[in-house]
Amino acid sequence: MSEAASNQAVVQAQGLDLTFQTNDGPIHALKDVNLTVDKGEFVSFIGPSGCGKTTFLRCIAALETPTGGTLTVNGMTPDEARRNRAYGYVFQAAGLYPWRTIAKNIKLPLEIMGYSAAEQDERVKNVLELVDLEGFGGKFPWQLSGGMQQRASIARALAFDADILLMDEPFGALDEIVRDHLNEQLLALWARTEKTIGFVTHSIPEAVYLSTKIVVMSPRPGRITDVIDSPLPKERPLDIRDTPEFIEVAHRVREGLRAGHTDD
Amino acid sequence: MQGFAVEFSAAIALILNGDPELWAIVLLSLKVSIFAVLISALIGMPVGAALAVARFPGRRVLIILMNALMGFPPVVVGLLVYLMLSRSGPLGVLELLYTPTAMIIAQVVLVTPIVAALTRQVVEMLAEEYSEQLRSLGVSRLASVPVLLWDARLALVTALLAGFGRAIAEVGAVIIVGGNINHVTRVMTTTIALETSKGNLALALALGAILIGIAVAVNAMVSTLSLRAEREGLRHA
Repeated sequence: MSEAASNQAVVQAQGLDLTFQTNDGPIHALKDVNLTVDKGEFVSFIGPSGCGKTTFLRCIAALETPTGGTLTVNGMTPDEARRNRAYGYVFQAAGLYPWRTIAKNIKLPLEIMGYSAAEQDERVKNVLELVDLEGFGGKFPWQLSGGMQQRASIARALAFDADILLMDEPFGALDEIVRDHLNEQLLALWARTEKTIGFVTHSIPEAVYLSTKIVVMSPRPGRITDVIDSPLPKERPLDIRDTPEFIEVAHRVREGLRAGHTDD
Repeated sequence: MQGFAVEFSAAIALILNGDPELWAIVLLSLKVSIFAVLISALIGMPVGAALAVARFPGRRVLIILMNALMGFPPVVVGLLVYLMLSRSGPLGVLELLYTPTAMIIAQVVLVTPIVAALTRQVVEMLAEEYSEQLRSLGVSRLASVPVLLWDARLALVTALLAGFGRAIAEVGAVIIVGGNINHVTRVMTTTIALETSKGNLALALALGAILIGIAVAVNAMVSTLSLRAEREGLRHA
């Protein structure tokens, strides 16, 4: 662990393979995936459906088990990392439980982990503030808009202070304007908390706007076709999307996606 | 028709005047059925929850068996418990036959499958909804049971009320193992059966009215609670 911590690699994948056996024969969800994610990076995974971006995120979270290669999270196996509460996971759907209030939803992991009641209240207060939902703790999920629900589910993933935040297309179901707003907020939150973020998306502007590193993937078999280290500054107002640098990165992502497509 | 009207007003008088014999019978009924439901809850809820989350060979068979037991004829349950408790039976030494305890045992046998089957359904549905979230938190399937039971509490109360409804209205099992002994094991349903055959309609009618009142109240509670559970549970499902 000490060696891994010193070189700051949070996620390391080498020759990662994942093959699902189906009735129609094996499906190569991931093939020979090599990637290193450093501490504090914001990494986006982008690609068409079936490219393995979500599968890779789920491997990091130990929700899927690779069939080949090696994968470490914080220098441990993904399963050990999960037991050490290494990550918070934000699912595609907000996944809030309608019979619990927002505060109670955020408390779910804390209850399971055995935090004291006072500590739970303190943490709920802090994360609600982080996602700009002060005063909404007593509401039920259905009383909130879609964007607010997704923010609440991010708050839940943040509640127990994991260093890694894994997000699977968290804003995919939201409209463009809400999404812009949430992207801005997410960057602010990332700057404040200095977490390492893994973010799955199929939106090129979203990936370029948010990321320090963009991983372009393509399907059949799911693999990485390009890894782009973003030249954009850490400070990013929304209108950075009109700058030549931004457009250039977006162009390279698009090229990478296209290259992946011509392969089949 | 004249006689019926007389009996009916006599029945109302029995209820309103707080006839001690009548209320003793009602109290014993409630005591037996409430105890039976509590014991069934202690057995049925963990069993149902375990069946919902655990995966082992024979699980499906157990679930089918449990569901089948829900419809088991009370008279047959009474007969089986009678055989167990009778002097020559395996539990004969306990000398429980013709006591309220024997009636509680029979009702536990009747109610436990109901509680277990309903608990399994509810918890299994919840477990599915919680599964990814709980896995990402590193919670094993069995360790998730307390969380699931707590979040299912509304639906579980409904299951207990359903069990209570079956217990309090049941006559076949308790009459066999209780023996319908006056002041000892005589409950509402067995009294109604006996007094009707004796032609003492007033007491039978009075008890019948109370029993219907209890049944309606329990069912009203069940529908209110399940409506609430549904509203909270399915709005966003």
